[in-house]
Amino acid sequence: MRGIGIICAKELKSLFSSPMFYIVTLMITGLLSLNFFVYLKGFAAQQGMTSFNGGTENLANIHMGVFVKHLSVLNLILIFLVPALTMRLLSEERKMRTFDLLLTSPVTSAEIVLGKYFAALGAILVWMLLALIYPVATRYVVVFSWAPLLVSFFGIFMLAAVYAAMSLFCSSLTEQSLIAFVMSVIFNILLWFLGSVADAVDSQTLRAVFEHVSLNTHLSALVFGTLRTSSIIFLVSVMAFFVFLTERVVESFRWRSL
Amino acid sequence: MIEVRNLCKDYGPHQAIHNLSFTIQKGDVVGFLGPNGAGKSTTMKIITGFMAPSSGTASIAGFDVFEHPIEVKKRIGYLPETPPLYGDMYVRDYLTYVARLKDVEKNRISMLVDRAIEKTLLGDVQHRLIQNLSKGFRQRVGIAQALVSDPEVLVLDEPTVGLDPKQVAEIRNLIKELKGHHTIILSTHILPEVQAACEKAIIINKGRIVAEDTIQNLSVREKGQSQIFVRLRQETADLKSLLAGIDGVLTVDSGLSQREWKVNVKGTDETVDAISARIVSKGLGLIEFTPQRVDLEDVFLRLTYGTEKQEGAL
Repeated sequence: MRGIGIICAKELKSLFSSPMFYIVTLMITGLLSLNFFVYLKGFAAQQGMTSFNGGTENLANIHMGVFVKHLSVLNLILIFLVPALTMRLLSEERKMRTFDLLLTSPVTSAEIVLGKYFAALGAILVWMLLALIYPVATRYVVVFSWAPLLVSFFGIFMLAAVYAAMSLFCSSLTEQSLIAFVMSVIFNILLWFLGSVADAVDSQTLRAVFEHVSLNTHLSALVFGTLRTSSIIFLVSVMAFFVFLTERVVESFRWRSL
Repeated sequence: MIEVRNLCKDYGPHQAIHNLSFTIQKGDVVGFLGPNGAGKSTTMKIITGFMAPSSGTASIAGFDVFEHPIEVKKRIGYLPETPPLYGDMYVRDYLTYVARLKDVEKNRISMLVDRAIEKTLLGDVQHRLIQNLSKGFRQRVGIAQALVSDPEVLVLDEPTVGLDPKQVAEIRNLIKELKGHHTIILSTHILPEVQAACEKAIIINKGRIVAEDTIQNLSVREKGQSQIFVRLRQETADLKSLLAGIDGVLTVDSGLSQREWKVNVKGTDETVDAISARIVSKGLGLIEFTPQRVDLEDVFLRLTYGTEKQEGAL
């Protein structure tokens, strides 16, 4: 397990010392700021209308009105950004022949993959924390409950972790970072469409299966602030499954000729 | 120290190495010699545990490469054909990273990194990014990377590729220096390298071992015959009759002029002695007298390309 820390630290260091990371992060914050401003402004206007008409029972919920929209923008960004982050993690090692070093070092394939995976999660966490600044700043002008906000952030983080696992898997399959990127984006988008297949199939069993593997089902609860163990177990299993597949691919380099 | 038994590796129908067996003792410096595509790199990849063989076994320090890969990898420093370098890391950081990967104890890391930098003369570039280094420096970082964990076994795949002659000499000296501390396997298709640095050579061709012996024995193997180059101050019409009667003189051929001669001899040092004594006693003005050894190159060519020719003839 020693290898995980070493590889993770190395990846994080090379990520955080790369100017690209800061440029991308700056652009993300630009996008988020723009949208957050629009949502907040829209929410304030709507709020004004409601109180103008009298009655407080119809008061809009800031969580649904602003934060969930904010998170859906973040999600959209992550669909493309996580593959960009992970695409080089394994494919580059193969292309630059640095895999030779990793595979002849006393670390297991699982340690290599987990080290890289945790490094990707670390970078995602940085972006999540940046995105969290917006609601925190809003707290100075609006009073709201922390719990649903944190749960929904946790939900998006879990989702990003699923993206990262799938993207890391794609990265292990090819030497070309670009191919890994395109494949990962397709995988990530596909997750969102699996649910709609449920409407198209006739069999009850199939429908149940598709509904269960649909991200929408699991994520909506988290986003609305409800922690459901079945959802968490589902998301963690998807991550574990793809990390396992990646480990298998890396392990296969040892007997397959590269 | 290193034991290889009946190693085979197939890439589909292509057999890269076939039934390779050899043993390397602790502290030996062994040259792994063969033409391009002979299976040198494949064998090294298997020994380092980078790749699994199709059949056969390899063990290092008593640990089977496939049963105990982690134990084996702790004891190995490996320089692949392409040095495994991260362009976005500083030389020193990179070496530290490798040392940590190789499970070097924490308190020795900085000492070993210093040592590797010093041995490969990387002191001036240790705080530079690897991607900005020239090919020669990168190759040296590659060697430093293999050294940095102070491994019992060093496996160097063509360590001097891409270096200038001075650097090549430095690396050869380095290998000589490391002799004794480490068991070294060094693959190359450059013969002088083996002659300069190794005690023992394993010559492989088309995935099979064609010779395995000490450099000394390989050089004198099937020696029998050698050639002496003679340059005289005076023109001599017929050196052959002059040398007649000396045991072991086979042929005497004239070179570019009547001042240069090539004498083929078969015999001991006494024959050589007698030839020189005869020329000097005749007062021909001996200015050059060079015995040309049948060197490793001839052995190598005969053993590798020679067999090819025979196969072609069949």
